[in-house]
Amino acid sequence: MAAEFEPRIVAFLCKWCSSAGADLAGVSRMEYPPNVIPIQVMCSGSVSPLYVFSALSHGADGVLVSGCHPGDCHYIKGNYYARRRLALVKKLLEYIGLEPQRFQMSWVSATEGVKFSQLIYDLVKELKPLGPQTKFRRNY
Amino acid sequence: MVSLDQLKEEVKKALSSGKVKYFIGYENIGSGWQVRPAFIRQPEDVDRLVWTPACFHNLVRFLHDEKRRRAREKNPDIRPVGLVVKGCDSRSINVLLQEKYIERNDVYIIGVSCELTGVINITKLNQHLNGLKPQKVLFGSKGTFKVIVDDREIEIEAPDILADRCLECPANFPVIADVILGEEIKRNPGNRYQSISAYEKMALDERWSFWQQQFSRCLRCYACRSVCPMCYCDECVADSIAYAVTAETTADEKAQKTRWVERNPELSENIFYHLVRAIHLAGRCVDCGECERVCPVEIPLRLLNKKMEKEAKELFGYEVGFDPAQPPLIACFRDNDPQDFIR
Amino acid sequence: MKRTGVFVCHCGINIAGTVDVKKVAAELAKHPGVVHAEDYVYMCSDPGQNLIIQAIKEKKLDSVVVACCSPTLHETTFRNATKKAGLNPYRCEIANIREQCSWVHREKSKATQKAISITRGVVEKVRRNESLEDVSVPVTKRALVIGGGIAGIQASLDIADAGYEVILVEKSPSIGGHMSQLSETFPTLDCSQCILTPKMVEVSKHPRIKLMTYSEVQEVSGYVGNFKVKILKKPTYVDPDKCTLCDECTKVCPIVVPNEFDMGLTGRRAIYIPFPQAIPASYTIDEKACPGMFDTAIACGKCADVCKPGAINFDMKPEIVEVDVGAIVVATGYDLYDKSMMAEYGYGQYPDVLDGLQFERLLSASGPTGGRILRPSDKKEPKEVVFIQCVGSRDPELHWPYCSKICCMYTAKHAMLYKHHVHDGQAYVFYIDIRSGGKNYEEFVHRAVEEDGVLYLRGKVSRVFEDNGKLIVWGVDTLTGKQIEIAADMVVLAMAIRPSKGMDELAKKLKIALDKDGFLAEAHPKLRPVESMTSGIFLAGAAQAPKDIPEAVGQASGAAAKAMAILSRDRLFHSPTVARVIRNLCTGCGMCVSVCPFEAISLKEGKAEVNEILCEGCGTCSASCLRNAIQVKNLTPHHIQEMIKACLGG
Repeated sequence: MAAEFEPRIVAFLCKWCSSAGADLAGVSRMEYPPNVIPIQVMCSGSVSPLYVFSALSHGADGVLVSGCHPGDCHYIKGNYYARRRLALVKKLLEYIGLEPQRFQMSWVSATEGVKFSQLIYDLVKELKPLGPQTKFRRNY
Repeated sequence: MVSLDQLKEEVKKALSSGKVKYFIGYENIGSGWQVRPAFIRQPEDVDRLVWTPACFHNLVRFLHDEKRRRAREKNPDIRPVGLVVKGCDSRSINVLLQEKYIERNDVYIIGVSCELTGVINITKLNQHLNGLKPQKVLFGSKGTFKVIVDDREIEIEAPDILADRCLECPANFPVIADVILGEEIKRNPGNRYQSISAYEKMALDERWSFWQQQFSRCLRCYACRSVCPMCYCDECVADSIAYAVTAETTADEKAQKTRWVERNPELSENIFYHLVRAIHLAGRCVDCGECERVCPVEIPLRLLNKKMEKEAKELFGYEVGFDPAQPPLIACFRDNDPQDFIR
Repeated sequence: MKRTGVFVCHCGINIAGTVDVKKVAAELAKHPGVVHAEDYVYMCSDPGQNLIIQAIKEKKLDSVVVACCSPTLHETTFRNATKKAGLNPYRCEIANIREQCSWVHREKSKATQKAISITRGVVEKVRRNESLEDVSVPVTKRALVIGGGIAGIQASLDIADAGYEVILVEKSPSIGGHMSQLSETFPTLDCSQCILTPKMVEVSKHPRIKLMTYSEVQEVSGYVGNFKVKILKKPTYVDPDKCTLCDECTKVCPIVVPNEFDMGLTGRRAIYIPFPQAIPASYTIDEKACPGMFDTAIACGKCADVCKPGAINFDMKPEIVEVDVGAIVVATGYDLYDKSMMAEYGYGQYPDVLDGLQFERLLSASGPTGGRILRPSDKKEPKEVVFIQCVGSRDPELHWPYCSKICCMYTAKHAMLYKHHVHDGQAYVFYIDIRSGGKNYEEFVHRAVEEDGVLYLRGKVSRVFEDNGKLIVWGVDTLTGKQIEIAADMVVLAMAIRPSKGMDELAKKLKIALDKDGFLAEAHPKLRPVESMTSGIFLAGAAQAPKDIPEAVGQASGAAAKAMAILSRDRLFHSPTVARVIRNLCTGCGMCVSVCPFEAISLKEGKAEVNEILCEGCGTCSASCLRNAIQVKNLTPHHIQEMIKACLGG
């Protein structure tokens, strides 16, 4: 039997909420699938659309951007800019024909370890049936 | 009706008073009916100017050259440049003002109303004429075009040969100008997003196969970028190094500078380039349609920009190019911006 | 060629139990540019740190990655070790392979692969890091305290006693806050005024405290150590230096408005002193109430006519005072939840339905009834009083989800004091449960029940309505499941504690965050409870969460200590990972200027310019820039791009 497809997800986690939430999931030993590679950024507001495109181009099967809940941003309003900017990115990617599951955004606070681990479970579950992301992937 | 004589008169006035440095309008190519941008420097040259349905070029783009020239020259002539602009073109001036690329007194604007028509799409015209060669293409009365073929005059209903962008134009009248020619005639705008609705309705894979075919054709000639009034960056991120070179930067590091997009026209790179372009034009594109017009391989680029225009309007209530004082789309937010897509 | 060292920590079995640390080190040793890779059981131990220091020196490493626990734990440790070895600390980065890897996965091969990917990414990041020096700024040795309640008073006194100047700003005409309205305080039943007044006097007499009452913070700019604050001093129209407190003015003033100090149970004149012990001891003309002020048609001026010292000055104008301070303590306190939200309890409809603070005024010897408990409606002594707890609190569906914390205790006190005044009366308390955590608090509640016979009923009240001169209280006793109907003479509502009005606007001016319930958000719920997320701004008292007096005072002293830690220094240091403009890419469009949450970017000669002291390095500017012309040092788009590549490669 062929090995089951294991999606590779790049997760941009803001330092203050989502990465702290992921740390809490760790401290609480909440197991989740190892398909996510976290990249810590200072704020979800610093995630440029280029990062998302680049991850897809370098073969990520899924991309997650996670920040603080609205009103909780360590930098007061970075997540509001992220929300607007990445809403457009999501619409654009889907319009071109990328599966909506492949680019996702979430709010995970520093106290939401449970939410983070559940989120990764769900993402992996949603991405598995889609198979590898080849549409945007650089193949040379 | 826009009076060509009046246009010439205004340009002559601006030039002879020394108010403008030079004037950019339209002139016929040779003795034919097609037009090209005309740079008028002397008052006596105004007779070269024309105003016809083939004046589709957005001349605002030439302000980039002027800005670069000014930056280069030691003692630049800082008088405004005169431009003939249509409704859509005028909105791109507003975006340049919004982004502080130019100042209001850098440009002297003669606005022309598109009234009940607009500019034509040459392919549509040729199809309509079914192989016949037009000798002249002119504005008719009451929303028609007058085409002279075999010395005969044919009247064509505007919508039959109008450029797609004109069919979806939100305002056919200049929103900023020093002088306005022609009347402001409200036209029923119809569905501003007609062209994209078919693609939005497609199944995901259908959409992907459509766009894959489009992007596969791209030559990466960057004509879309060169013609775009918004693409004024000295170095486009699509081929920039995106890298801070400091005193500490070694030759080694410089050598391995990262590009977001590789130069070779592979599908993945073409997609990346067009994604960057679309997202960077979100909230900035005024739908002058020039990118699509100049594309040598006929990639329907307007469909990308129009989609972003629609989302900006529907998600954020944002209209491009009407108010030079509003903050840019992605440099502002509302507390209740939609977030149903966020987990 | 880069020379990177990779150090993989076992963390005992915390990492090594799930991640094959030897394999991680071996794989990373093959990574281009990595000249040294090793693993060790506890990298954070002294021997572990020495391994790093030694390797930096011997192998001439120019960058270091420690693959270990979360950077929140040991980034500083390893950066200090790096510095000790003579390498710039910003050349050291942490790969989090414990919290975000070994602790959350079970399958060893996959966890190992993930740890390798994470570490590769960080190697690619660190090799592009620049050596950076901390940004240094001088400190203005003066504090601003906003709010003159007990928390603000305590913070001001602490800071001033430590030898620093304090500016205490209070929006009302007197300091004292809600504590000055209270009768006696739980659990000791000492008189509130008696313990507060000496502190108020101390504030007014303190050589290093500048008191600005009837003043509001209007604008705040700057940053830790160097805030610039504009304070609006509202005109009182009475010169406090001339006023002799003869009180002749109030006798002639024709205008009566509700008295805020008595929670509207009495009236006051348009010219008034908030309460006899007010500090500063002076009168104020309420310009909204006084007819002589703006409406020239009915110019009155009676008070000025009778004022012998000539203290009244109608020409007094609002004044803007600009001050420089190094630290700010926000102690803006609380207000009670808007009672109009509680129609079912008849507040506003029936004069004998009171809130807790109104009841305090009835209990107070200086209150409207001289300390006798009388119904506002008919001035009769109520024989049955119902106290309802959690009004608007602990009610996520309709009101606020949180517990207002102090109500259990003050309700017990109210019921007890009521019994002390009305020996033949009966007090009922409807409660959800009794929260009396605190020194001698539980005993206090027991006293109320056992010694004073207060009847506690577990359950919620559904309705209060008037019938035949009585207030009928409908409730359920959830312990017996029985419906209860009490014909009461008075009902006292323990209204939810809310942040004081206008605090949200103040928070915006200060650029500090609010929590989901509208209170000021602390930087960390456990470990940084007196700091806001903006450095140099500290929180004290009920503005941060509902608090009783000892807690408010304790937090105020904590905030004062934090403020003093800043004021005691001559210079402050600031992280150097701030934004930088690449001038030849910048077109001066100003998008970064509009998105910057800290107003750290401005346009100068058509190019963006970053104030490194204001910049917090969030990078929102960099994502908004269409040309990557503004980038955060050591986390540039180039860093990210290379991290993405390395994480996904292989």
